[in-house]
Amino acid sequence: MTRPLQGIRIADFTVHNAGPFCTNLLSQLGAEVIKIESAMRPDAFRKPHPVYGRMGPATFDQVASTKLSVRINLKLPEGVALAKRIVAVSDVAAESFRPGVLDRLGLGYDVLRQVKQDIVLLAVSSSGQYGPDKHFAGYAPLFGAWGGLSDLTGYEDGPPVEMRHVMDHTVGMNAAVAVLAALHRRDATGLGALVDVSAREVASSLLGEALLLAAAGGEPKRMSNDHPRMAPHGVYPAAGEDQWLSIAVANDSEWQALAGIIGVDDPRFAHEATRHELRRELDLLVSRWTATRPADAAAEQLQAAGIAAHASWNTVSLTSDKHLRTRRALVTVQEPDGKERAAVGVPMRLSKGADIGIDRGTPKLGEHEDYVYGELLGMSSAERKSLEAAEVIF
Amino acid sequence: MSRAPLNDLHVAVHAKGVAAAYAARMLRGMGAHVVWVEPAGGTPLRSEPPFLPGEAQVSALFAYLAAGTTSQTCDLQGEEGRAAFGALLSQCDILFDDTPLAERMALGVDEAAIAARHPDLIHVSVLPFGATGEKAQWKGEEINIQHASGEGYLLPNGLSVEQFPDRPPVKIHGHFAEMQGGIAAALGALAALRARGLHGGQVGGQYVDISCQDAMLSVGAFAIQRFGDGSVEHRVERSFRYGGVLPCADGFVELLTLEQRQWDGLVELLGRPSWALDPALADSLERSRRGPELNRHIRAWAAVRKVEDIVREGQKLSVPLAKYNSPAEVLRDEHEKVRGLFQPVEVPGAGSLDMLVSPIQFDGRASRL
Repeated sequence: MTRPLQGIRIADFTVHNAGPFCTNLLSQLGAEVIKIESAMRPDAFRKPHPVYGRMGPATFDQVASTKLSVRINLKLPEGVALAKRIVAVSDVAAESFRPGVLDRLGLGYDVLRQVKQDIVLLAVSSSGQYGPDKHFAGYAPLFGAWGGLSDLTGYEDGPPVEMRHVMDHTVGMNAAVAVLAALHRRDATGLGALVDVSAREVASSLLGEALLLAAAGGEPKRMSNDHPRMAPHGVYPAAGEDQWLSIAVANDSEWQALAGIIGVDDPRFAHEATRHELRRELDLLVSRWTATRPADAAAEQLQAAGIAAHASWNTVSLTSDKHLRTRRALVTVQEPDGKERAAVGVPMRLSKGADIGIDRGTPKLGEHEDYVYGELLGMSSAERKSLEAAEVIF
Repeated sequence: MSRAPLNDLHVAVHAKGVAAAYAARMLRGMGAHVVWVEPAGGTPLRSEPPFLPGEAQVSALFAYLAAGTTSQTCDLQGEEGRAAFGALLSQCDILFDDTPLAERMALGVDEAAIAARHPDLIHVSVLPFGATGEKAQWKGEEINIQHASGEGYLLPNGLSVEQFPDRPPVKIHGHFAEMQGGIAAALGALAALRARGLHGGQVGGQYVDISCQDAMLSVGAFAIQRFGDGSVEHRVERSFRYGGVLPCADGFVELLTLEQRQWDGLVELLGRPSWALDPALADSLERSRRGPELNRHIRAWAAVRKVEDIVREGQKLSVPLAKYNSPAEVLRDEHEKVRGLFQPVEVPGAGSLDMLVSPIQFDGRASRL
């Protein structure tokens, strides 16, 4: 078995969500990711954020798993020099500061290229590395707002809907693809790369068809749960409080199967276009059937008849699902303190890479300095102690 | 540095759905050469709405997904078509395929058949629930995937669920979950491609099994972590305690302050009103506890102001604020014009249209098709 990214090392300066999720995916594929923080400025997501209405950290455990952790105080020139030593033995450097911050730290792309000629620098930001809005601060809900995705999401008579962490993480997954593309070119040509991932542009890329429609003079709008073609198509009440069943009927034969199950015999619904016109009437008929049935059982019955259906799952259902566990999309991770928690794996199965995935849980701040500073950089104990005393390793 | 990163890659895509198509489209945006393999009548995606204005019924979805690619007609049910398909694959590095499992052997696109004939090919299977596991044969459209992965249950949030607490959950626009499957497929393809070159090339090609449910679950990792922390997330409770979607005089803005300095900037933006200067609100926990009260003040302030003014002045103070842009506004956005996010692309049957090419830039330049 082979981990695809074995031999790749990443100096990881990313913080918050999008960048760390990217490097976490790459670590699960075999890259050695060295997360660089300091006690003075730990990753903001190690800390709680009361604006979320809770006191625990956000997604830090998930995105920090399988990474190595070292402390460097980048406020000091010696800290910057130490960071360069890590970059010099890395293939990729990754950052998610606001544009300009890395330059101000003395670690900009031109500097890093002098340290490592073929370095791939991944820069993840809200609006990209150049352009009039490059300085804009932002988080996931803002990316979705800028990019148009949130404006098109919601009830047709309601306000736009905030994108949450799925937005951050899709930026991270896009960035991971981009890093592999840049490494592919580096291997072929010896060229490094500056990879510029703008989160708001990732949001826009997920509505490319609507943007094209707008470019042609059309007016895409919020559609609730409607589909522009399919009917029935929606989220229907199931038995029990706040239980729901999603159903999508893709063609006339699937409708015939559904009509037989829910007991509807009405020739008006035979053809898709008419069903779509009458979709509100149809929704009532479907709801009448679903409302008395447990969502999972109803989904199984519909799937057996060839109809796309699935219960609306919360995390209790997700974490106990055999299918997701079999696929290792969901795994149990043991933290250094012995506690176990559910985590998501890297979303793929490789026929020659069964060992991909999370190796270990959240690293403590500076947990891997013996390896990184001692073995990797060949630093003596005396030098380390000196740098610790000077609050460079801090 | 001139060449697009993947311009030496050759990709075939055999797809009826968005996920596999989007995987190929992503790689095309980074320079790969992509060939669609289609039956005589074309992929069903060609007739999938929304359609561009006009009588030609040109699918905006297919135009976006297939931009910059070529097409080859192959009837995989016949010997001739399969031979042509085999010849194409012999020139390719990657195949994205979303044929349902039950139909694969008949078309010669099952894992064993492809591996036997094309041992160096990266064969990427893209299905709603993957190619292994008890739901491998299940059907799944976009709305099903969003709900099978947990995010569907958690939407809407914020102002929307506040206004409509009793309505069914609402999906994210378009093909978000299927596209996550596509992005994961692109990632899997490039990871497997890298593995192919390891150990002196002895690893060879391999089979990559992508599930859109897995991919969508992956980007919803936050809720899983919260479960591990002892909380089951729910759309009603996952609103920000203050900020979020703010109705303004001429639209909506998004406000999210996570850091103390951002709150301080917000107080300045609001004009240092007396309620915001309450010393107790210097504590982020107190702000969280009094979130609804804060939001009443913030919403009253925003309701009589224009979006552009709020965002411009707020961002000067480093307050994270964004305008809720419509698609037309994204197209007109000066920032995106400077960055070249949209470029004129010839769409058969519709002429030249501005199209988003790629959200990723290499070497300081927008990607080109």
